[in-house]
Amino acid sequence: MHICPRCESNRSEVVTRSPVKGAWEVLLCPVCMFTWRTSEPDSITDPAKYKSAFKVNPEDIPNAAHVPPIPERVQDRS
Amino acid sequence: MAYKDFRDFLHTLEKEGQLLTISDEVKPEPDIAAANRALHNLGDKTPALFFNNIYGYTDARIAMNVMGSWPNHALMMGMPKNTPLKEQFFEFARRYEQFPMPVKREETAPFHEVEITEDINLFDILPLFRLNQGDGGFYLDKAILVSRDLDDPDTYGKQNVGLYRMQVKGKNRLGIQPVPQHDIAIHIRQAEERGENLKVAIALGCEPVITTAASTPLLYDQSEYEMAGAIQGEPYCVVKAKDADLDLPWGAEVILEGEVLAGEREYEGPFGEFTGHYSGGRAMPVIQINRVYHRKQPIFEHLYIGMPWTETDYMIGVNTSVPLFQQLKDAFPNEIVAVNAMYTHGLVAIISTKTRYGGFAKAVGMRALTTPHGLGYCKLVIVVDEDVDPFNLPQVMWALSTKLHPKHDAVIVPGLSILPLDPGSDPAGMTHKMILDATTPIAPDIRGHYSQPLDSPLGVAEWEEKLSHMLR
Ligand SMILES: [Zn+2]
Repeated sequence: MHICPRCESNRSEVVTRSPVKGAWEVLLCPVCMFTWRTSEPDSITDPAKYKSAFKVNPEDIPNAAHVPPIPERVQDRS
Repeated sequence: MAYKDFRDFLHTLEKEGQLLTISDEVKPEPDIAAANRALHNLGDKTPALFFNNIYGYTDARIAMNVMGSWPNHALMMGMPKNTPLKEQFFEFARRYEQFPMPVKREETAPFHEVEITEDINLFDILPLFRLNQGDGGFYLDKAILVSRDLDDPDTYGKQNVGLYRMQVKGKNRLGIQPVPQHDIAIHIRQAEERGENLKVAIALGCEPVITTAASTPLLYDQSEYEMAGAIQGEPYCVVKAKDADLDLPWGAEVILEGEVLAGEREYEGPFGEFTGHYSGGRAMPVIQINRVYHRKQPIFEHLYIGMPWTETDYMIGVNTSVPLFQQLKDAFPNEIVAVNAMYTHGLVAIISTKTRYGGFAKAVGMRALTTPHGLGYCKLVIVVDEDVDPFNLPQVMWALSTKLHPKHDAVIVPGLSILPLDPGSDPAGMTHKMILDATTPIAPDIRGHYSQPLDSPLGVAEWEEKLSHMLR
């Protein structure tokens, strides 16, 4: 478990490790879908240094606009 | 002249001195994006970059900026690398008229070499990396995506091949941004109205001609594969996908097959876009990948995108201008001379035209707003006379500064559609649009003092010829 630098959830998980052992890991946050590599600059990896304009509040995520909106099912099309 | 596959084109770039191999070790972030940003700051004749020594990887190979300059664009069309832009435009327009060129079908392709159907992990298979600092993740941004019209699957041209940004959001999951003005939005809607998943195939590392056709604003029922054939002057080679009735580019490095999950939306973005702004985060459709196949030691192609100009502007400059040119010529065959819609994907379009009577140029501008591409772009249309080269911005600025009277020549049309990525649109997707008529007024529009235009000394054309030979 790792802290997501963007939304600060603690649910991030490793999705891959570097083919050269020990160089880096790639982490993915299942809450805001942020993805980062542990070898990136700390302005990307450190929750305290992540740019405030790009921070995401987990409470806002369910309210994000749907693009495009999900259309109504049309009966004669199924 | 066709390129056999992606590697064949890279080989040509190398031969022509338009491919720079970076063998020093680079970090995936921020080095690769930084090198590409720096390259774009160095002018419009830059080479492609090939990275083969990337920190943490053993055999990753990444090609970027493959079509990110005018020489590389000329080579894409098989023309000499120093061909002037205006010549590339008219040659592209000439080949565009050879559409459609039927495809050539093959049973197998080089990308069948390695196949993965279990435990797919895109983060393992592809050397993914971040481009801009505010990006929400790692993206596929130069992959083509193939899908079919569900209402009319037998009309070949309604199979769509398009370029869409796709965020890698899980081991076998991608997020896709379907701009409503683009064809993929129609196919997703058809599938979701049925409650069905939409089968798609994604090709990475393609010959530049299909990437060009995929990013050309063709009409909905025009085939990108048949346009790729027209542009390269011989049939384009395709092979069938395995999980769906979709055609794939034979020369690709990597293929992902999967489906857009009906009714699902998931947080995506932001992504640094061609507008020079981040897109913001929104809930977008999701693609699940079920099958991957690729060449051995595949080359991952990607492009840097951000503040213009970047590769995308070279990639879609000429091929955005040509359909507008052709569609305007359909309406005004004897007047339209050339169209430059190269700025920010055609949010600005410059049209050179003859005029038949007073007010004519404004009608040309209004027609541009109602073309299929104009519906999502063409926020500012500048109309200039036939003797102004729309690709020569000093000439365009001369026309604006001397021919335009703001009282008569600035037309604002309120409340039109625009792609939602335009950061000035409000609400997203809505905007006013403007036509600036910088043509010379003619009867019955009699105003200004335009009866004594400057001419040139006699013999200029001969001297141009003579001097250009001496300077070679
Ligand atoms: Zn997060």
